[in-house]
Amino acid sequence: MSKSFRISILLLFIVVVLSLLSLNYNTLSVNAQENNEIHNDELKFLIYSIINNTNSPTLGNSDAPITIIDFSDFQCFMCARYVKNTEPIINETYIQTGKAKLVFKHFPIRGFDSMGASIAAQCINDQGQSKFWKFHNILYHNQGPIDSGWVSKENLKNFASQISGLDMDRFVNCLESEKYKEHVQSDLELAKKFKFTESPSFVILNSSGETDPEYLSGAHPFPSFASIIDKKLQKLDNR
Amino acid sequence: MNLIPFSFRTVFSNILYILIAITIAVSFWILLNTFDKLLFFSPVWTFYLPEDAVLGFILTNISSILFGILLSMNIYIIKTAKLKVSNKSSLFSGTTLGIISSTCASCSSIGFAIISTLGGTGIAISNFLEMYAIPLRIVSILILVYALYLIHIKLTKSCIIK
Repeated sequence: MSKSFRISILLLFIVVVLSLLSLNYNTLSVNAQENNEIHNDELKFLIYSIINNTNSPTLGNSDAPITIIDFSDFQCFMCARYVKNTEPIINETYIQTGKAKLVFKHFPIRGFDSMGASIAAQCINDQGQSKFWKFHNILYHNQGPIDSGWVSKENLKNFASQISGLDMDRFVNCLESEKYKEHVQSDLELAKKFKFTESPSFVILNSSGETDPEYLSGAHPFPSFASIIDKKLQKLDNR
Repeated sequence: MNLIPFSFRTVFSNILYILIAITIAVSFWILLNTFDKLLFFSPVWTFYLPEDAVLGFILTNISSILFGILLSMNIYIIKTAKLKVSNKSSLFSGTTLGIISSTCASCSSIGFAIISTLGGTGIAISNFLEMYAIPLRIVSILILVYALYLIHIKLTKSCIIK
């Protein structure tokens, strides 16, 4: 067998192995301890702090049995894909029906301007969660290339001015003073503790804080969320 | 007049090479669409095609088919004629570019690894890869087409085809 032929066979083998590896590339729905090596006590504390952090923007009924925690970056293209395609169906199916609530955590890893966008969003949240979600949608629907200046302070103010009833002076003061920089950084630290390496990333768990979280990394489509949430709801119904 | 080039007819008259081409094309299709976050295996098997991904998906299909045809033809040349693969560099550069531009370097774990390893430079690299993903894929297809042309010439002009 010639050397070149052996190289070709090796190449073919590599292609097949890579394909098989890709099967696991987006499969992060595993047990927390296996995935993140977070001890149960630490995990309980993290989840308790997330659920009880009143500063984190939340969508839906606070008594909803399931909590979806979304770690996203406003400059991330995949996060925008999730917001445009998957989030509206989750909202309609689970959030509006009171089955789940959505908690937003900042994960500004994509570019230099990401932190500013997160601080601005958190400043909007200061004036009401419904305003935050409007701002969140405005940013994702007007997303530009990373660090191109589309989330410069000036543009952030322009986006904010589209939200009716917003106290602009209060918002500008908050933005200029970087009031929520620490909050955003604590969200980022939290994502690091979960060892997330991809945006968006999600934790889906019972709102009671029991330690059976499931993880999703990447802009998963609705069926991925549905399979996890339905399974959790069924477990709760069987109790 | 036969529209299928002589080199193609020669290689793919043997079902083995059709099977090899299909296996490689399917493997690449799975790999590239997984990196593109269109194909998911967990928690449920799902394929979805959002509006913003249509162009990338079309290019992925073209690349996968080209990878399959090219690798299969290369294997034919090596096996039948015991010749060296003359267009190795074109094939590898096309393949590498295709894969790199498909990984959405900025959002995926690969992008995160680049950013956390190289800091500011890493952000610039991953931004470039994300911003120019489509042009890079088009370049990768052009390289693969060029490799295909080279292999066609090699098969038709050499004396290995009786």
